[in-house]
Amino acid sequence: MCELSGKLMAWLDHELASDEMAGVERHIEECAECQREVAAYREASGALQSYCDAVMESRLRRRSSQWVPVLSAAGAVTFAVVALLVFQHRRVEPLVPTPVVKTVPAAGAEAATVVETTSVASKSVPRRHAASQPRREIVNWAPAQPAIEIAIPAESMFPPGAVPEGVTFTADLSIGVDGSAQQMRLRPRLIGFEQRGTQP
Amino acid sequence: MSGDSIPIAWPLSSLARDGCEVTALYRELRKPLLRYLICLGLSTDEAQDTVQDAFLSLHRHLSSGGSQENIRSWVFRVAHNRARNRQGSYQRRFGEPLDDERDGMLDQTTPERVVLEKEKFRQLGKAMRQLTEGERECLLLRAEGLRYREIGDVLGMATSTVGETVSRAIKKLAEKCNV
Repeated sequence: MCELSGKLMAWLDHELASDEMAGVERHIEECAECQREVAAYREASGALQSYCDAVMESRLRRRSSQWVPVLSAAGAVTFAVVALLVFQHRRVEPLVPTPVVKTVPAAGAEAATVVETTSVASKSVPRRHAASQPRREIVNWAPAQPAIEIAIPAESMFPPGAVPEGVTFTADLSIGVDGSAQQMRLRPRLIGFEQRGTQP
Repeated sequence: MSGDSIPIAWPLSSLARDGCEVTALYRELRKPLLRYLICLGLSTDEAQDTVQDAFLSLHRHLSSGGSQENIRSWVFRVAHNRARNRQGSYQRRFGEPLDDERDGMLDQTTPERVVLEKEKFRQLGKAMRQLTEGERECLLLRAEGLRYREIGDVLGMATSTVGETVSRAIKKLAEKCNV
């Protein structure tokens, strides 16, 4: 082993005093063994540098990729919850089929809107005003019982031809004790069948 | 190495007065510090926490009138000591900080290069684990561009001892990696 081999690394790192640096440099130019050692140290240093870079990059990439499934799952769960809430809000609760008070024929798309809100509100009007109320009789049924029937033409809900002719729909709307709409049930009706009566 | 370091003497008043210098230091040293801590064996979260703590300490130190001639080695020393204080993770993983990363490292190269690089990294990781704690720390700090004197400041070693340790360690690496 060359006598100056212990100083090669310090020379490589510019850690020697300037006069010592010059002396080692002159020696390296003449000593093949030291040249080989310096080359090996340079390569090992470079490899270690690359390795450290790769380790950090890998760790940071792994850390961010760990969050991707977590965020995706969170997003999917959030979407499912929102969809469920929206679906439940729109779902029609099944009601016990009971005779309703009166059918309100409607025309066109406007049939889907709730009518007779004034008659519902009139529940709170004192008895002495009963004579001025419309003839509709709204019974104080339990909230689960339908109080208003709304006829909804099929073409207001479905595209033309989607529903057989003669089929229409009725929305049974139940009114709570406070006058607010509680439940709604949509049921199909056969207009032609009802009008046929008992005739064969 | 990532370049020579220059002993820095910052006027206290300007540093305490203007946080931009600390911010500039943060931008300059964050990545080298993070890489050092991760290669030491800390997890990414631990390393990032330690880096944040180190710079908070620097800010407090400067605000309270402390003075450091070389802020780079000061920050590295604080971070290194905090890493040592995490005894469980430090000791548990310090012995094998670089072994589990191989498969995720080489996504952008050709298959042949991947195989060669993986093998090279495997040998390097094994060689690093066979170094002593001091040799490993010296090499990792040197890889972040610290001079021998700064490494001595961080690890509490004489500059001449750092030189000998670095020389011994790099020789071992070169031999074991067949360089």
